Amino acid sequence: MAEELHKKLQQEVENFQALQKQYQKTLSVRQQLGGQLFENETVKTELDLVKKDQEVYKLIGPVLIKQDIEEALQNVNKRMDYIKGELKRVDDTITDMEKKQDSQRDVLNKLQQQYQKAQLVAATKN
Amino acid sequence: MSAKDSHEGMQEIDITKLTLQQLSQLKQRLEQELQMYQSSLQSLKVAQTRYLNSKESIEKISPDCKGKEILVPLTGSIYVPGKVADADSVIIDIGTGYYVQKDLDSAKDYMKRRVAFVTEQMEKIQAMGQEKGCIRDAVMEVMEGKIQQEIGLQKAALARAAGATAGKS
Repeated sequence: MAEELHKKLQQEVENFQALQKQYQKTLSVRQQLGGQLFENETVKTELDLVKKDQEVYKLIGPVLIKQDIEEALQNVNKRMDYIKGELKRVDDTITDMEKKQDSQRDVLNKLQQQYQKAQLVAATKN
Repeated sequence: MSAKDSHEGMQEIDITKLTLQQLSQLKQRLEQELQMYQSSLQSLKVAQTRYLNSKESIEKISPDCKGKEILVPLTGSIYVPGKVADADSVIIDIGTGYYVQKDLDSAKDYMKRRVAFVTEQMEKIQAMGQEKGCIRDAVMEVMEGKIQQEIGLQKAALARAAGATAGKS
């Protein structure tokens, strides 16, 4: 009985650890996206400040290509929209994973209690 | 996100009512956050010095630099001689691959703005770090108290057990 429980407990612990790992990964993705969004925001504010006579370039590979301000702004806006969409998606996954982790934690706690009880029973029998 | 969570938690939960396990979890999380703040501060510091360096370089350029000879770095170790064709403007990397041509004054202004922004962020993070540090200290204090209490209880139980066996014999 105790042996079986122990196996199950180990299995659940492994599951939990896998969940945690995945969670950490998603968190770092979120952080990266947040950073990208922020960078694009600063670029946008900077582009908004650009005067008519100032030129805008885009770095493509090792060369700077002259670009239209309007086009650049559009590009940045588009990118920001995309990143915001991604952020929302990742946020949803994060809340989802938090729920999963909580339920897994409950399962673990219950199993642990069962295991301890079984051990106690075994100890008193001997 | 986790920063916000624990902050809300601190306002709602009386830390003296938490169990030792919960307290150590909390402490671990706080320590992780503190570490994160430290590394953020470090990268901000790097950014700050880079902007300051750029600003200094801009200040060295004056309109009478035009036509003067300079060595242009092609790579980190190869230079070719060149002449300054335009000493009135510089091209600045504003992020995500975009560069803007600015005259010297607005370039200086840009650097000033960036430095001010980075410094502001650093101050914010420092304040947050201090707050978290205080919370961690409080948590550690409560933990210490709990551990002492636990030890006291165990000692009392042991003493009682010893007394009971002594009474029997």
